[in-house]
Amino acid sequence: MRAHPSALARGLTLAAGLVLALAACSSGGGGGGSGSGTSAGLTSCTTKGKADTCNSGATKAGGTFTYVLEKNIQQWNVQDANGNTFENGEALGVVLPQVFVPQPDLTVALNTDLVTSATQTGTGPQTIVYKINPKASWNDGTPITADDFVYYWRTNDGKDCPPPPASDATQTKGCLPQSTAGYDRVKSVTGSDGGKTVTVVMAKPFSDWKSLFGAGYPLYPAHVAEKLSGAKTGDAAHMTAAQMTEGWQYFQKTPPTKYATAGPYKMQQWVDNDHATYVPDPKWWGAHKPSLQRLIFKVITDATQEPIALQNNEVQGIYPQPEVDLVKQVKDIPNVTYTIGNGLNWEHFDLNLHNPVIGKYKALRQAMFTAISIKDIVSKTVGQFDPKVNHLGNHNFVPGQAGYQDVVTATGQGSGDLAKAKKYLTDARFTGVGTALKTPDGKTVGPFNCRYTTGNQIRQSECQILQSNLASLGIKVTIKPIGAADLGTVLVGHQYDIIVFAWVASPFPSSNAQQNWVTGGGGNYGGYSDKTVDKLVAQAVGETDQTKAAALLNQADKIMTDDAYVLPLYQKPTFLAVQTRFVNVRDNATNVGPPYNTAEWGLKK
Amino acid sequence: MLAYTVRRILVSVPVLIASTFIVFLVVVNSGDPVANFATSRQPAPSKAAVQAFARHIHADQPVLERYWNWITGVLHGDFGPSVQTNLNIGHDLFTRFRVTVTLVAAAMLIALILSVLFGAFSAIRQYTAADYSITFVGFLFLAMPVFWFAVLLKQAGIWINEKTGSQFLGTIGEKSPYLNVDTPWNEFVDRIGHLALPTITLALVSFASWTRYTRASMLEVLNSDYVRLARAKGLRRGRVITRHALRTALIPLATVTALDVASILGGAVVTETIFQWHGMGEMLVQAASTVDVYRLMAWLLLSAVVVIVFNLLADLLYAVLDPRIRYD
Repeated sequence: MRAHPSALARGLTLAAGLVLALAACSSGGGGGGSGSGTSAGLTSCTTKGKADTCNSGATKAGGTFTYVLEKNIQQWNVQDANGNTFENGEALGVVLPQVFVPQPDLTVALNTDLVTSATQTGTGPQTIVYKINPKASWNDGTPITADDFVYYWRTNDGKDCPPPPASDATQTKGCLPQSTAGYDRVKSVTGSDGGKTVTVVMAKPFSDWKSLFGAGYPLYPAHVAEKLSGAKTGDAAHMTAAQMTEGWQYFQKTPPTKYATAGPYKMQQWVDNDHATYVPDPKWWGAHKPSLQRLIFKVITDATQEPIALQNNEVQGIYPQPEVDLVKQVKDIPNVTYTIGNGLNWEHFDLNLHNPVIGKYKALRQAMFTAISIKDIVSKTVGQFDPKVNHLGNHNFVPGQAGYQDVVTATGQGSGDLAKAKKYLTDARFTGVGTALKTPDGKTVGPFNCRYTTGNQIRQSECQILQSNLASLGIKVTIKPIGAADLGTVLVGHQYDIIVFAWVASPFPSSNAQQNWVTGGGGNYGGYSDKTVDKLVAQAVGETDQTKAAALLNQADKIMTDDAYVLPLYQKPTFLAVQTRFVNVRDNATNVGPPYNTAEWGLKK
Repeated sequence: MLAYTVRRILVSVPVLIASTFIVFLVVVNSGDPVANFATSRQPAPSKAAVQAFARHIHADQPVLERYWNWITGVLHGDFGPSVQTNLNIGHDLFTRFRVTVTLVAAAMLIALILSVLFGAFSAIRQYTAADYSITFVGFLFLAMPVFWFAVLLKQAGIWINEKTGSQFLGTIGEKSPYLNVDTPWNEFVDRIGHLALPTITLALVSFASWTRYTRASMLEVLNSDYVRLARAKGLRRGRVITRHALRTALIPLATVTALDVASILGGAVVTETIFQWHGMGEMLVQAASTVDVYRLMAWLLLSAVVVIVFNLLADLLYAVLDPRIRYD
């Protein structure tokens, strides 16, 4: 019953042929890509001073540009705590107007299509005057007026439209803004010149006043909310909380296909979990008329599939988190330009000050941070695909921002200087340095856990390097991954000794600082508390002079750095890849993302 | 058989309730979506927003009360709140089920036809070049990781597109977001182009195992006494194979197929992810990774119902195919 040898050979040959045919298909898939990915286009974006102008060019009419959104949008009110997602900001920024728009160089620029000027006219009390562009109007013909600003302020100040009461089972009877920062300091918003001049008077000064009415959180049409809630049109100042809630809920549930918008495009179609289609809005009055025939935002939730979709021309622009393989894949796609930028996201090690040993001994914390070699961390992780990544030296600003000052390097933290680290410990009378570390009162130090989100190879490596660095001090570290859905539980429950994750810096750092460093702040998970830091940050938030505010933050940062609570590692790289036939698409690492200027995107002329 | 069917359905109800209760307890204790909400956004949501979120997803209620509210809500068509505040779980569930059925139906049909043809052929031509080739290919697809094979197919699709200068084969989604000429025919072609690669992926994976079942079953039947008797009585070989052997050989395959289809309908997780089909598999992954309790329970409920139904179908099919089996 055994097979004839020749039959067996024929069978195997046939099967092997099939495999080879498949392999041939696979290897040919690149379409003969020869590393031409780094063509002109986006390559100059990382050159100093070019962030806002790289990949520029004249456009010709027509074409469809499909850009990838990495998450579905379920909630359309980006001002809401729940709707405050990056993808929502990207999608709405195309159709809704905002006063100041974060730019690729991490500054903010006045949106002159909406307001011709926004000026701080007084400091006692702080007063800001906005002159609305006379041509500015919603695409149903209703002019954009001070009423839209009043509606925005009153729904976001946390008082006029309060959060839902506990008795509300559905938790829909109230407004829950993503942040009341600034709006809770406004005393009045009034209109004049037929509603085309808006005067905002602050009850308490607010340093980041340019974040008001924009910075990724655009205006919604007040008249739509007024109409549907039965309020008097043009009178947002007298809307009741219930009426404002109705508007708030409507904008949460309703994609902007269904109400008046005011952008270069209008959203023609939203297919849930799939795509948004935008077409040029004929009512658009702005300086840049869109040249694209159609703009599509396509939902692709698995980043590893994005380069393949780009290669197959199903999408023309992708903005995934870079990884070695992904960058390599894109490099091999012909006629695609890409840039690896330095984003506002920054990676950091945090110590949990609730741990009695870590919290008690500042010298121990300083020694730990000094022993960590950020150079090693970078070279073994993100440095593999982005050689430009550097040690970050500030907790509030990133290089390129006006307030950036390196307050970390001089302390030796992150240097990997073991001699210095050991000296901290011996000076503080720790024993067993380099072997089995003990506190001055004889207690064993550690073992500590280093926690990272499971599946994140880069963070796993970071913990491993830290483990090796701290072993040199005689501190044992165990590496303990966190379940994909458990980062929040771990942070809020202080279930870590050392943790590595990322924060997003902001063009408006004062509010962020208040969250992360002030006693009891929402992002201050490790329990840091210093009265001087609290005071300096509070002063910075209320300082109307931006330079002085930055100086105050840096002053606070020096104290905090000395306390060795959070060690900034590096700015996380961003990655934008676009087909070379399109121009004016460029990286914007802020919360508005690359779609900050979609009116200018188009086919290269 | 009707009485048997009704009895089976009635027995499955307590099984379903017990399984949902156990899973509910496990899921509720598997993570803290409220803490995730509090830390996943920047700026961090206010305390009022976090409390409102907890109340919205009923995280402030005792577990037993939550389960009772959920199970009674399901009877009224309310699947409970999602961590994605505007998501209607019922609508999401059935939309995704449709997507998965679309993806799975063609693949399973193709896999079934191919596996019967090749499995039977392989058995008839046992130990020939054809048998070895089919066996080799079967084991190859069985051993090949789906995620790798799917990516390979995607590259092949791009290669074909490039060579033909077309955009026929899609690598993401069910259809293109727009068509230059939007006619029903073009839309049909577009959908077929998007269906092709994931269908091949799913079909070949199932084909691999089903072919082996068919071959083994067919061999057993071909070597049985009644087939030998049929041949001895002078019946033609073709008639013996098609009328007597194949029908009997298909009985075990019917069971395997029914159970496999039931599990795939729960979500072809890898295939759906790679081809970005927003079906049941993606729903499971999203719900699990965000500790979306009610969404996960909805997924479980539907998947459990599908498994129960297909199990029942397999048993009934057995009776249809094998006259010796009767249910009283």
